[in-house]
Amino acid sequence: MLNTILRHEWRSLSADASVWIVVAVFAGAIGYGTLNGARWVAFQQEAIAEAQQEEAERYQRHQTEIVRINRENATVSAFSDPRNPDAVGRALGARYAVLPPTPVAALSVGQSDLLPYYFRMTTDAKETILAAAELENPHRLLAGRFDLAFVIIYLYPLLILALTYNVLSSEKEQGTLVLTLSQPVSLRTLVAGKVLLRFVLFMGAVGFLALMALVVGGVDLGASGVAPRLALWAVAVAVYGLFWFAAAVAVAAFGKPSATNATALAGIWLVLVVLLPSLLNISATTMYPVPSRVEMIQAMRVASDEANAEGSTLLARYYEDHPELATGDAQQAMNDFNLIRVAVGAEVERRVRPVLDRYTRQLAAQQQVVGRARVLSPAILMQDALNDISGTGTARHRRFMQQVESYHEQWRSYFVGLIFQKARLQDYAGLPRFAFEEETTAAVASRAAVSLAAIAIPTVLIAAFAYTSIRRYPLVG
Amino acid sequence: MVMTIARKELREMLRDGRFRALAVTVFALSVVSFAAGWKHYTDVERQHLQAQEATRAQWLNQPAKNPHSAAHYGMYAFKPKSRLSLVDTGVDPYVGVAAWLEAHKQNEFRYRPAQDRTAIQRFGELTAAEGFLVILPLFIVLMSFATFAGEREQGTLRQLLGLGVARRDLVTGKAFGVAAALALVVVPATLVGVATLAFTSEFSGLRDDMPRAVLVAIVYLTFFATCVAICLGVSAWARTSRAALVVLLAFWFVNSLIVTRAAADLAAWLRPTPSAIEFQRGLERDLAAPEEMRLRLERRRQELMRQYNVQTMDAVPINFSGISLQEGEERANDVFDAHYGRLFETHEAQNRTLQWAGLAAPMIPVRSLSMALAGTDFAHHRDFVKAAESYRRGIQRVLNDDIARNSKPGVAYVAGPALWAKVPEFAYTLPSAGWALRQTAPSLLLLVAWCVASVWFASRATRRLAAD
Repeated sequence: MLNTILRHEWRSLSADASVWIVVAVFAGAIGYGTLNGARWVAFQQEAIAEAQQEEAERYQRHQTEIVRINRENATVSAFSDPRNPDAVGRALGARYAVLPPTPVAALSVGQSDLLPYYFRMTTDAKETILAAAELENPHRLLAGRFDLAFVIIYLYPLLILALTYNVLSSEKEQGTLVLTLSQPVSLRTLVAGKVLLRFVLFMGAVGFLALMALVVGGVDLGASGVAPRLALWAVAVAVYGLFWFAAAVAVAAFGKPSATNATALAGIWLVLVVLLPSLLNISATTMYPVPSRVEMIQAMRVASDEANAEGSTLLARYYEDHPELATGDAQQAMNDFNLIRVAVGAEVERRVRPVLDRYTRQLAAQQQVVGRARVLSPAILMQDALNDISGTGTARHRRFMQQVESYHEQWRSYFVGLIFQKARLQDYAGLPRFAFEEETTAAVASRAAVSLAAIAIPTVLIAAFAYTSIRRYPLVG
Repeated sequence: MVMTIARKELREMLRDGRFRALAVTVFALSVVSFAAGWKHYTDVERQHLQAQEATRAQWLNQPAKNPHSAAHYGMYAFKPKSRLSLVDTGVDPYVGVAAWLEAHKQNEFRYRPAQDRTAIQRFGELTAAEGFLVILPLFIVLMSFATFAGEREQGTLRQLLGLGVARRDLVTGKAFGVAAALALVVVPATLVGVATLAFTSEFSGLRDDMPRAVLVAIVYLTFFATCVAICLGVSAWARTSRAALVVLLAFWFVNSLIVTRAAADLAAWLRPTPSAIEFQRGLERDLAAPEEMRLRLERRRQELMRQYNVQTMDAVPINFSGISLQEGEERANDVFDAHYGRLFETHEAQNRTLQWAGLAAPMIPVRSLSMALAGTDFAHHRDFVKAAESYRRGIQRVLNDDIARNSKPGVAYVAGPALWAKVPEFAYTLPSAGWALRQTAPSLLLLVAWCVASVWFASRATRRLAAD
């Protein structure tokens, strides 16, 4: 029976011009969105390659210079001496810490256009290093990207609703519903058949089109980690689609005319996809406002003025804290400009930490509000899931920042050690390197699973409601 | 006749529970957005004002030191918030709030507030502007899609036309009716906005903002009129009210959500922004030109010797190190102007493409006009960046000039608070409303064109209005 329904439904759907319009719009949007995502990934990869090339060329230049200085026994100013650990750590030997885009990053631009994906590591204060950012046009950042995630979150539900809002009401309005049900078929089977066909149609279209666009966009589908992430992505799209199908059937079950159903579903879409997220955003930022960064800048300035004024005292205290670094030649070390700078830097960071903690705390509080309230809107959950799957969300970026921070410490202590030993660098090969430690697929999957479960639970509840209440569907009148 | 029709339309809507619910929702949303905008504005404005005073105090309280050390110590420029940003925050969350003004270097504005927000920010910010641009048009659609198509379905349209009501009167009356209903929502919301604005500023501030505020109001009213005309036109043109609703909802979706994004990406496709690293490398390459610098300094030496009519540099009564520092600044300034100029021109070109996308969606010109008048678009950011940079150049000139005049070669030289005070305080005033409009001239043109075209469409569609 289900087969007959599917066959019949397919015949009537494929004869309907509006269905093909929907498919064409969808295909165009998916293609444009995916290519946009792929272009952004290519842009990031080019920038990363350029950074690495710049680093390699600079290292080569300084190595040659070291050979020359040694050979000619030349004198150079301390600031431009490629053997001086202070100058190397602060500028000459700067190394890039890079967050590479995942192989499926083209699926969602997420936060990657806003949050920096590489830093130039030096011994400067951490906050100075982390202030770097891409030069993106602010109007584009404000508009947001037309990427595949946008198509899935905003457009896909609308198209589902456009094909499903009159799933029963149109047959009722045409008078064919009573006729159909005079056959040995239950209303539930009929609805199930109609929804199943549309669901399969959508999943097929999304899957096929997105894969095509990814291949055209230059994504290597065979690369490691791609298959599980794509599978997760397909599950996410299916779950999100089912939510909207369930909503459409639940609304249809009230037995209202098509126009009323359309208005109600458009209203639900508007509230869940547009209104709730922006209301939630405004509540979180108003409840826990993150102060303007100007306060941090001022705090750092005050701290560094004070620390500079106490420079030599600080150095003495630094030695007390790190007796292992004292070379015995304390009198000379006291006067050493480099050493004072190290001590001052450490002191500034110590003093500024409470101010910085306030930013982290407020942002964490916002995240917590959003994290709790996001279950109200499948659109927010879907955004989180898609960003997690494509590795462009805040969680992976936070992981990157933590690794960058510990790399900064590693970098600094490496050079502090050399400065205290008054060593002269001969070879840059030993300078600490950064390699992003990617999260495991299991970690990504479990995080995405939480978001998807939060979409799936209301979906099941709504579907159950639709299933029970459709029994009372008014076939006439 | 017109008034009778308008009264009937309004009464019908007021009796409709759905209208009342929608109206209350829209009004509540605008109150929430104004309140949040007000809180955000006052918080940030206070923080920036305090920081600006603190950075000035730090500058003045520097101990005696060499002027060039002071130049390296520098100052910060903090971006003030325009008062109308509580209506439209524009690109403010996506541009940096502070730049360090130091010797030798034009630094970028860093710390974009959006980086300190959660990812949910990307769904959009519920500002008053967002309410006017996205939510109110939807409200208009839902209120008026059935105006003609609904009457036709009920069969009352035939009666009306049979009474001899002129089609022109019919459409004008209905437009007034919808406008009156809209006014019931918009006027209280606007009053809340004006009250908020008044609450945040002294009288003088309010007076300065008035031209911009009035223009913003006119822009939005024109936009609402355009929306009403489009809705009435479609409702008259469509066969059924359902068709009218579908067409209008699709139009609303494309207008408010699709075109901006699609066009922003297209603009970047046509004119790509360089990456930060590419920009930085280009800058460094052009800044490092020792040979050119040597020639420049040599030329200055010759000029000075001619000017003071002496044969050797030792006989010139000023210290050349001050001249040399300033010469370095001047050369670097040319490089900065070229590179930042190119970068900003890229953004402007992208924004021009974005503005012309307004051909496809009336929301785009309204949005750029609203941001421009609120002082929160890229053009205003660029203006502030320019002001901060020319202030930085001023600081360098004062300090290098002092080195040239007062220091002696080979003698340690320190200057004191008197010199620090010679650097004037940084003051920035928002450009005039006329300037803002000139920056967005294409948008102004497009908005007027949309308004005229939609009124023409509505009157044409009603002229051909079929009774069934």
